Amino acid sequence: MNIQDIYQKNRKNIFFSENKDIETHREKLINIFENDRFDKKNNESLKNINLKNFIDFKYKYLIPEETSVINNNHENSYSIVSVNGQCSTFKDDKIEITKILDEDYNDFSKNNTIEKNDHFVNLNSLFLNSGFKIVIKRNNNIKIKISNIVTDDDLTIFQKNNIICQEGSSLSLIEEYENKNNSTSNILNVIKLEKHSQLNHFLIQDNSSNHNLIITSHSSCKKDSTYTQKVYNFSEGYVRNFHYSELIETNSEADLQGIFFLKDNNTSNNKTFVKHLAQDCKSNQVYKGILNDRAKATYFSNTHVDQVAQKTEGYQLSKGILLSDSASYFSKPELKIYADDVKCSHGSTIGPIDENAIFYLRSRGMSKIAATKILISSFINEELSSIDNEQMSEIIQKKLVRYLSKVK
Amino acid sequence: MNSETLNTLDSYSKNKYKYGFVTDIDNEKPKKGLNEDTIKFISLKKKEPDWMLEWRLKAFSKWKKMKEPKWANLNFPEIDYQDIYYYSAPKGFEKKPKDLSEVDPKLIETYNKLGIPLEEQKVLAGVAVDVVFDSVSVATTYKGELEKLGIIFCSIGEAIQKHSDLIKKYLGSVIPAGDHSFSALNSAVFTDGSFVYIPEGVKCPMELSTYFRINAENTGQFERTLIIADKGSYVSYLEGCTAPKRDDNQLHAANVELIALEDAEIKYSTVQNWYPGDEDGKGGIYNFVTKRGLCAGKNSKISWTQVETGSAITWKYPSCILKGDNSIGEFYSVAITNNFQQADTGTKMTHIGKNTKSKIISKGISLGNSQNTYRGEVSFLRKADKARNYTQCDSLLVGNKCGAHTVPYIDSKNNTAVIEHEASTSKINEDQLYYCRQRGLSHEEAVSLIVNGFCKQVLQELPMEFAVEAQKLVSISLEGSVG
Repeated sequence: MNIQDIYQKNRKNIFFSENKDIETHREKLINIFENDRFDKKNNESLKNINLKNFIDFKYKYLIPEETSVINNNHENSYSIVSVNGQCSTFKDDKIEITKILDEDYNDFSKNNTIEKNDHFVNLNSLFLNSGFKIVIKRNNNIKIKISNIVTDDDLTIFQKNNIICQEGSSLSLIEEYENKNNSTSNILNVIKLEKHSQLNHFLIQDNSSNHNLIITSHSSCKKDSTYTQKVYNFSEGYVRNFHYSELIETNSEADLQGIFFLKDNNTSNNKTFVKHLAQDCKSNQVYKGILNDRAKATYFSNTHVDQVAQKTEGYQLSKGILLSDSASYFSKPELKIYADDVKCSHGSTIGPIDENAIFYLRSRGMSKIAATKILISSFINEELSSIDNEQMSEIIQKKLVRYLSKVK
Repeated sequence: MNSETLNTLDSYSKNKYKYGFVTDIDNEKPKKGLNEDTIKFISLKKKEPDWMLEWRLKAFSKWKKMKEPKWANLNFPEIDYQDIYYYSAPKGFEKKPKDLSEVDPKLIETYNKLGIPLEEQKVLAGVAVDVVFDSVSVATTYKGELEKLGIIFCSIGEAIQKHSDLIKKYLGSVIPAGDHSFSALNSAVFTDGSFVYIPEGVKCPMELSTYFRINAENTGQFERTLIIADKGSYVSYLEGCTAPKRDDNQLHAANVELIALEDAEIKYSTVQNWYPGDEDGKGGIYNFVTKRGLCAGKNSKISWTQVETGSAITWKYPSCILKGDNSIGEFYSVAITNNFQQADTGTKMTHIGKNTKSKIISKGISLGNSQNTYRGEVSFLRKADKARNYTQCDSLLVGNKCGAHTVPYIDSKNNTAVIEHEASTSKINEDQLYYCRQRGLSHEEAVSLIVNGFCKQVLQELPMEFAVEAQKLVSISLEGSVG
């Protein structure tokens, strides 16, 4: 069945199918799919992907029966359960959760920073069937934990979330993705940080091998705001993390970090993109990967410095460890700089575990496996020790131990 | 200028340039445009055997189906291939300026800064010189010496006729005609270029340069160079010249193929300073070059060094295919862009054999309104055990209208291979500038000194005489846009 048919057939449970402007936009998207299908050769977003799973997909969506619960167990702490990408509305004097509206549709499709021919983003715009909007009100300090649950097999979730941090607010957001059923989640996150706001965003991804997770996010930072994102990918299924960040006013910061642990036939595609559009901004992009068995990973990073963005500091680091001889890692750290008073750099390394370090540990009586495990832990120690949330830190340690137990 | 430099340049003047004109080629001009007749005409003029013509036509049929590669960070109007002469007949005397007073004074000024003697200036500017230096004899002396060692060094046209077995075996073996549109174009219409063959175990005693070769006055528009270093041999080859060169041909698409067999080493140095267009970005040469070296044998080595200061558009990626075990590939580059120049240059290191090593040092300097991109690919294939790469690419920005970009592609499929890449972009260090100014240097001198220091790592890889000139060239390229 082609895209057009799938769309027409399921129109009734796709968001905004009554809105004319959106319909015209979707027609354009359908045209793109019909005409050039997946032009794999020149499309970065499709590298290493088994397209079959994504082209001939069967659309299926269930509107969740039970409305999701919001526990206000602590004064400033909320936990949200999002079922099939939906979440009930909620409102108090600190936060507000609503459904997404027609006007939120264009946030992504009209943004220049995001790659135009990203097929997964296009698919999401076309089949959008869930999502919610969280607003953190002024000068509040909030902790939120979101558990993303997919209820049935064969579901295709096309979700879009908006997160808005109002002036002076501070949010610590933990998102968990732990799904064991055979389904696909395609999620877009639009994050807006107003003046003096701060967001610490943790994404813990631990899906089983038959669940595909595609996350694309875009954050924009206004004056003196800070966006920190930490992605921990322990998934056994395909995961795509594409994160774009725009620093639109002075003195803002973006920090995009990620660690991925891959094994078996797993694939992970990662991309970070920071666009500096104002003076005195800082950015940092760090991704580390451990690849075992026949795992494949790609990491594209990009720092773009606009002509007006003087006094910019932008750093990139990409590190990969290949544990097996059939794993492969591709990295493309890019710098595009149009201003002269900048400090920008990137570093990229790919290699095995340092033999001298192994030798040192073995000469002290450790087995080779134990030595390897210690060195893997130390490779990512910097990232793990910087987690200031104890609960989080514990969860991640446990998952790390599980991954290491399979390293031979 | 110190006396040493003058001496160096002086010694060069004796053997570097060939003063005189080749008159044996007909003044007949082919028609504009690219079709099979043009190619047949070229082949006929070059008195080529039939198999060569077939080879060209095959490449042409491939070219017809191809599009220009579009991924480079370059902006240029579409090239009309039908509006180009593909066989450059020698220019008539009437077109040439009669003496130096008719030559663009800016060009003369640059020559003076580089310290080029008056007589040479005339030749470079294309002035009709009556006094013919007897450099033919100089060149012949060299030729004799090379022949004694069994080294073949001649034009590619001559090689097609005299050494057809080598040409058949190696031409297009590193850069297949159908590789991309510019290589196909070059394969179809190439008219000029060098051929070098170094026999087994021979270390070439001198740096080979196109200037020694007779029949090479004009840098061809579509040059084809083929260098083969047989087992255990060594050769160092120089291309280009520090003096600014004007050329009527806007499109240049050269192909350079290097083949290093077991234990052989090839060192290839380029200084490119073609006409970059004027201050407003009008005119200038489009330089689309494909350079590729194959380390075919064990322990072989290929080293590329380039200083790129000219051309309106530079599209150039000298690369190494490290096929033999323990082979080494090196790439050293300085690219300076000024005014409206655009450069997209870098390298490609493909590690196939075991214990292969590669090193990339790239320095980019952007000034004015220019755009300077480093684009490099390092890939380790499955069997490249214990392969090693180190890449360093630094960019320097002078002024706030230019751009410096770094686009590396890093791909590893082997878990014993180690790859390291680092890059930085910054402007000239204020402290260094302050230090220099404090010691009485003008702003411009200080910048020039710092930039020269920035490029040192690459410039020191050039052969001695070249390095001296290259340093001056760097300073000249910076002029007028600093401060």
